[in-house]
Amino acid sequence: MQKVITINLNGNAYQLDETAYGLLRTYLDAAELQLKDNPDKAEIISDLEQAIADKCNRVLGARKTVVTTAEVKQIIDEMGPVEGTEGTPGEPASEKQERPRAEAFAPKRLYQIREGSMISGVCKGLAAYLNVDVTIVRIVFVVLAVLTKGAFVIVYIVLMCVIPYATTSEERAAAHGQPFNAQELIDEAKRSYAGFKNKREWQRHWRRQQRAWRRHVPPTPWRAWGPPPMAPVGYAGQVFAGVMMPLFTVARTAAFWIWLCVLASLLSTNALFGWPIPDGVPLWAALLVSLLAYGFVAWPLDAARRSSIWALGAPAYGWFSAWDGLLGLALSVLCLWLAWEFVPEVHDFLENMPTVRMNIQNLLRGL
Amino acid sequence: MSVQEKFSAIRKGLLEFLILKIIASDKVYVADMLSRLSETEFKTQEGTLYPLLSKLRREGLVDYEWQESDAGPPRKYYELTAKGKSQLAELSAYWKDINATINQLGR
Repeated sequence: MQKVITINLNGNAYQLDETAYGLLRTYLDAAELQLKDNPDKAEIISDLEQAIADKCNRVLGARKTVVTTAEVKQIIDEMGPVEGTEGTPGEPASEKQERPRAEAFAPKRLYQIREGSMISGVCKGLAAYLNVDVTIVRIVFVVLAVLTKGAFVIVYIVLMCVIPYATTSEERAAAHGQPFNAQELIDEAKRSYAGFKNKREWQRHWRRQQRAWRRHVPPTPWRAWGPPPMAPVGYAGQVFAGVMMPLFTVARTAAFWIWLCVLASLLSTNALFGWPIPDGVPLWAALLVSLLAYGFVAWPLDAARRSSIWALGAPAYGWFSAWDGLLGLALSVLCLWLAWEFVPEVHDFLENMPTVRMNIQNLLRGL
Repeated sequence: MSVQEKFSAIRKGLLEFLILKIIASDKVYVADMLSRLSETEFKTQEGTLYPLLSKLRREGLVDYEWQESDAGPPRKYYELTAKGKSQLAELSAYWKDINATINQLGR
């Protein structure tokens, strides 16, 4: 007994059994990958889907509503592999031959690998990069963390921020230094489907695979922020984003606290750090200007922070922004503590609380 | 290496020329093209043909129009543009030259 999955091919619904769905999915993913530089990609994909739909119609009838694995295999064989960009006119034929080979020797790169990771995938990525078992890397990390009394955990956190995530099949292949092209993908899929000895094992694998696919869908909160950047930023760009992200957070937190100090200074002394408000400018105008100035600084920093989280290819925006928020909160607590310990003005401010209250009351009465 | 393999690159290269020829003879849709080629040495598949047609369309050699079909959804019927016709004439002339050269060069 197999579960049935309903799919939408160019606007028509078809029912496939699970294995068949997996095969078709692999075929279409590979096709999209091959066509990724093609300006007519969407149109070709919908043509291909329509052709597949026509072939499905051929095998379906009044009594038969589900397309089986064998039939989908047959259909995919009939369709044939989708060929990438045919090359612009005038391009030498040899170059076309070289392209797949260049892809096959993609450089090995350090990525975080989410699939099968314990925390974030740093160890898994390192293990893939160094070509050793992931357990060894994990043990090394734990031992180092214990030996350094926990300080090494910070190294992990830094790595977690800086190393990009392998989110596409291409990046995952680069993480292992494996050759990568679409045919490989299909062969790999065929090999792994053939390799499962029994149903239960296959189903377990299937569920894992589905979870992995779900993860690759960009998380919804980003949709609200408009379309994701069209062009991927590349490995160097991702590392850069990883370095900049915490810096942006630090700057953002600093901006907030500076603004708070400005507010406190304005409200308690009617002056900006001893620099009096010009004559004829009411307090509320000064407050408004400070708010505008704060927004002016904070807004681009927020935007930069968000886009660097995106560039990093973080698999879970919510999770990553939680970490981002925690960093900001920790910095704020640190600021407060430092201020309490070393800045007499903070004591003054707290002692001046009645004055502040009176100022606010005057302000409200003025309105 | 079989004879077929030796000429596989040439067959591939000729596909565009042949598709233009087929489209020139009649308004056709993809399944027609595939069936016309299926009995020949140039048998090909959707996975190859759709990207090729989209390239030809981008180059302005062919265009298509939607036509209702008796069974199933509307189909894209392809036809040559003026540019496509002149391109086909050039290709045909060149192909004749190649054949002449091959014949001249020996037995």
